[in-house]
Amino acid sequence: MKKERNYVDKTHTFGSVWSFVMLLVLLTVPLIFCIFYNVWPSFKEVGQGLLPVALMFYPTAIIEIVAYTPLLGTGGMYLSFTTGNISNLKLPCALGALDTAKIKSNSEEGEVITTIAVATSAIVTTIIIAVFVLALKPFIPKLTDPDSLLAPAFKQVMPALFGALGASYFSKHWKVSILPIVVLTLIVIISGSIGAGVLIPIGVVVALLGTLALYKLKWL
Amino acid sequence: MDFREDNLMLVLGLIVIAFILAQSVTFLVRALKRGNELGIAKSTMKNTMIQSVLFTITPALAIVATIIALTPALGIILPWIRLSVIGNITQETAAATAAIEAVTEGGSLALPITDEKSFATVMWVMTLASSLPLVILPLCLKRIQHGMNKAMNKSGDSKLTDTLAAAAFIGLIAAFIARALAGTGTITTEADGTLKNNYDGAGLLSVATLVSSTVIMLILSKIAEKKNITWLSNFAMPISMFAAMGVAILLAQVLPEDLAYFEFRPPVVN
Repeated sequence: MKKERNYVDKTHTFGSVWSFVMLLVLLTVPLIFCIFYNVWPSFKEVGQGLLPVALMFYPTAIIEIVAYTPLLGTGGMYLSFTTGNISNLKLPCALGALDTAKIKSNSEEGEVITTIAVATSAIVTTIIIAVFVLALKPFIPKLTDPDSLLAPAFKQVMPALFGALGASYFSKHWKVSILPIVVLTLIVIISGSIGAGVLIPIGVVVALLGTLALYKLKWL
Repeated sequence: MDFREDNLMLVLGLIVIAFILAQSVTFLVRALKRGNELGIAKSTMKNTMIQSVLFTITPALAIVATIIALTPALGIILPWIRLSVIGNITQETAAATAAIEAVTEGGSLALPITDEKSFATVMWVMTLASSLPLVILPLCLKRIQHGMNKAMNKSGDSKLTDTLAAAAFIGLIAAFIARALAGTGTITTEADGTLKNNYDGAGLLSVATLVSSTVIMLILSKIAEKKNITWLSNFAMPISMFAAMGVAILLAQVLPEDLAYFEFRPPVVN
């Protein structure tokens, strides 16, 4: 029993150190770019871009952390939140692995299995993306040229992506989906050029409030 | 050379990727060792790894498609970095769109960023927007787990938490759906003074693509579920996405140009 607690405690320390290292690495990227090109955006310029995005992402990040904690285990949490793509990749991998291995998530065996699943997924994703990016790099300008045969497809990547992504969410949570889609479409009809940065926080607030209302009414 | 894709950006990208791989490998090795100590069968751990590889391949290709979508504005390296660390498809697209709109006049994902300062601003915005979990987790995860274990023993209403997390995503997705249904397109002024329609507003193509993608996804998921076809269930999302993009290409080829590129509202000059 003592050893089990030690493993999870050590995982917390291990994960915290890696989170700190990755944070430094991430911040170093724009910093080195700024030093190399000697361009320094002001706090105001960064703040203007960051504010609408932060209004959306920061509450979502907190909700996600709370929601995924019981599912991903300690190691899986630290690794998933560093490597990203949780709902579409890490979570299905972890849950699938637990299901196949017939192991409960709230056990130390579950902790080990979810970490193996998330780590494997992170390695494979990183390699696939790197190979495709480096291999496709020379062809990208030709593929995305406005006169190319593929141009209409690239113009429509967003509807194609969010249609498929939305389908699984909407079919599972159709009651929750109706209100934000209707409200946001009405807003866009009124103001067609409204930016995604403004629209997204509105969508999230509407969806959250709608969900709470449905919960109170016991319609969920 | 394009500063968005020069050797500096490439080296920065490779450094980030090396760190991600190092972290993932150390977590994997540590878990495998602990699994051996706990007596978990080697075959169980091996199957977990194989299944995870299979689960991962297709969504990873969808991520590549998102990187390509962000490429016209940001080049390929920054989206590569952002989609490899913390980022996910929906968040990075939203962050890039909001950042570009904030820092460039009339900028959009379809237009290249041409000055280093705007690009640096977008880099900072995308990085800061996604970094919060790296601060919260070391500070709070232990406490959250402790509190959650207590609360779970008490009430057990995890359904509301799950639905709220899903609702946040639905709100985000709804923003892009609303734009595909009713958004106004843009016209930009070229360097030589001519006006260029970007055909990025809601119209026949955007709605046809959105509907095709949704319907194909629903049909494939249903078939996969009914017939219990695991590979189809894993591949349903990228298949739907690429098939819907195929529909857009097909419509653009077979319909008269006026109809194919018809938009519901006149585009506005930026």
